[in-house]
Amino acid sequence: MLRHLFTLIWNRKRSNLLLISEIFFSFVVLFGVGAVVITTAKNYLAPHGFNYEQVWRLQVRAGQGLTMPRAELDDVLRQVKALPGVQTVALTSGNTPFIFNNNNSFFGYKDKQSPLTNVYDADDHYATAMQLQLREGRWFAPADDGSNHRPVVISQDLRESLFGNEPALGKIFTYSKPDKVTKPEDEFVVMGVVEKVRMESDFSAPISSLWKRLIPFDTTHWETANVLVRVAPGSGGLLQEKIARTVASVTRQWTTEVRVMNDERINRRRYTLVPVVGLAIIGLFLIINVALGLFGVLWYNISQRRAEIGLRRAMGATGASIGRQFLGEMMVVTTFGVLLGGLLAAQFPLLHAFDQPAQPYLLAIAAATGAVYLITALCAWQPSRLAAAIHPAVALREE
Amino acid sequence: MENLLASTIDTNSQPPLNGATAATAPVLQLTNIEKVYQTATIETVALNRVNLTINRGEFVSIMGPSGCGKSTLLSLMGLLDEPTSGTIEVDGRPVQSYSDKELAGLRNLKIGFVFQSYHLINDLSVLDNVELPLLYRPKLSGRERRQRAVAALDKVGLSARTGHFPSQLSGGQRQRVAIARALVGGPEIILADEPTGNLDSVMGEEIMDLLLGLNKTEGVTIVMVTHDIQQAMKTGRVVRFFDGSQVG
Repeated sequence: MLRHLFTLIWNRKRSNLLLISEIFFSFVVLFGVGAVVITTAKNYLAPHGFNYEQVWRLQVRAGQGLTMPRAELDDVLRQVKALPGVQTVALTSGNTPFIFNNNNSFFGYKDKQSPLTNVYDADDHYATAMQLQLREGRWFAPADDGSNHRPVVISQDLRESLFGNEPALGKIFTYSKPDKVTKPEDEFVVMGVVEKVRMESDFSAPISSLWKRLIPFDTTHWETANVLVRVAPGSGGLLQEKIARTVASVTRQWTTEVRVMNDERINRRRYTLVPVVGLAIIGLFLIINVALGLFGVLWYNISQRRAEIGLRRAMGATGASIGRQFLGEMMVVTTFGVLLGGLLAAQFPLLHAFDQPAQPYLLAIAAATGAVYLITALCAWQPSRLAAAIHPAVALREE
Repeated sequence: MENLLASTIDTNSQPPLNGATAATAPVLQLTNIEKVYQTATIETVALNRVNLTINRGEFVSIMGPSGCGKSTLLSLMGLLDEPTSGTIEVDGRPVQSYSDKELAGLRNLKIGFVFQSYHLINDLSVLDNVELPLLYRPKLSGRERRQRAVAALDKVGLSARTGHFPSQLSGGQRQRVAIARALVGGPEIILADEPTGNLDSVMGEEIMDLLLGLNKTEGVTIVMVTHDIQQAMKTGRVVRFFDGSQVG
């Protein structure tokens, strides 16, 4: 019977072309949405590589056109750290986790080049404040003051891309520049390696990251200082007020803003979810349209094939087998559409499109295949039942 | 070829249950058949107390004006419809209590249909069309189905047209294909509803000769609805209907 159905569909390929096209496009849309959703979900379930809970971002601004001397800033940090409830204070750059601010670059070691890597400034207390998970070596320490090169800590994925299986600690690398000429301050020495981190959003993939050590005796004047404050559990608005007052006690010209990192994470999550949800809604509408189209075409097909149904009943088909035939035909048509869509979708894992691993694509292909078969089966179910219920004598007489 | 067809019939038929000899046993018996079509406002009596026996090997013509119930009778004989009252027996076995599945099996094994408008599936080749009834016999292999279909086409003189599609054939050839399809399952009875109605007189004669030949040489029981008295007179028995009642 299956061969018969294939023959029938193949011989009716022109009239089935529209159906096959609809199924092909449905498959492609479902595959696209599926790949995004699976990748997003996979990222969501992966660890962040740091602990954002009980971390506040304290932003201190010197004011328009003003700078803050490092000595005064260090004084502020010392006083904030001394407050009850504050566990750690760490100075960093403006690209703290979950905010729309980034700083990235490419790095090179011998003939190897890193992917685009997030670059953070971090002082000796940063790892404690963020609870980064150290894999190799150590975080920055006063012992690094005398280093001839800029001490850095890198993430595991950057380590893999630059050094592969070779030891990374103590290695010196630079920015990736075509002329190979580097300034001494742009030569980095690896002090440690931490686990991969996801600092963009809950749904982002790990991104290669590098932390450059902020030198304590650096005399650079700052316009804005970003400080990560790890606080004791249960700390709230009262402590935030105390921090603001502490800063103000050093100099009234500076302004402060305290943000909870977890709030920033949730805020960023909303922004990331909007396009994903939008895409899913568009996909859903497309699929509903396709489903209604399929339903209509099948309904029409059955009304056009009443005589054939009557004939098959006369030849020995039961009502149930007529229903199964129509369902089977739809499954065969679906198979043609899915095969075409699968051929296109298979290029994504084969070519590692968008630098993604093959697994989410393969899962998306499987999910789209299952969903398309389910949708077409649901759409074909009622018309098939209708076909099964057609009275053979009536159908034959109509002709 | 005849042997192949004969073996098909032997394989698929069941022995009569009433103990009568195969040659004289009624293959189909209709007793007090009534068929009433009822809507909310109108009740139409299509058949009124019809008693008819079709014996094995007979060629029976059913005649009557349009709307007298001929096609309804053929639908009932073909187990495509149920009577409002009365009993239908196939090989001496009443079928009113049969399930849809059992009736479908009986149609497939014992009855072949030939229609005025051929009812061929245009998107299937001649061979695939003829194979159609055998698709509902899951025990048959694809090869066996093909062999039987070719043999049936050979019998109607169309074995050279297996790959053609219905649209590439003349009306007479299409009806021959329909007859081959009716024969392929080795049925005990062929029900033909105005098989020459859409054909010119020459082609009509060809089809009539073919049916007569099948009846005589193969012993296939045939019940044919026709408006053509000349064709009816060539058959063994003529049954006349008027306004749903048997009048002769």
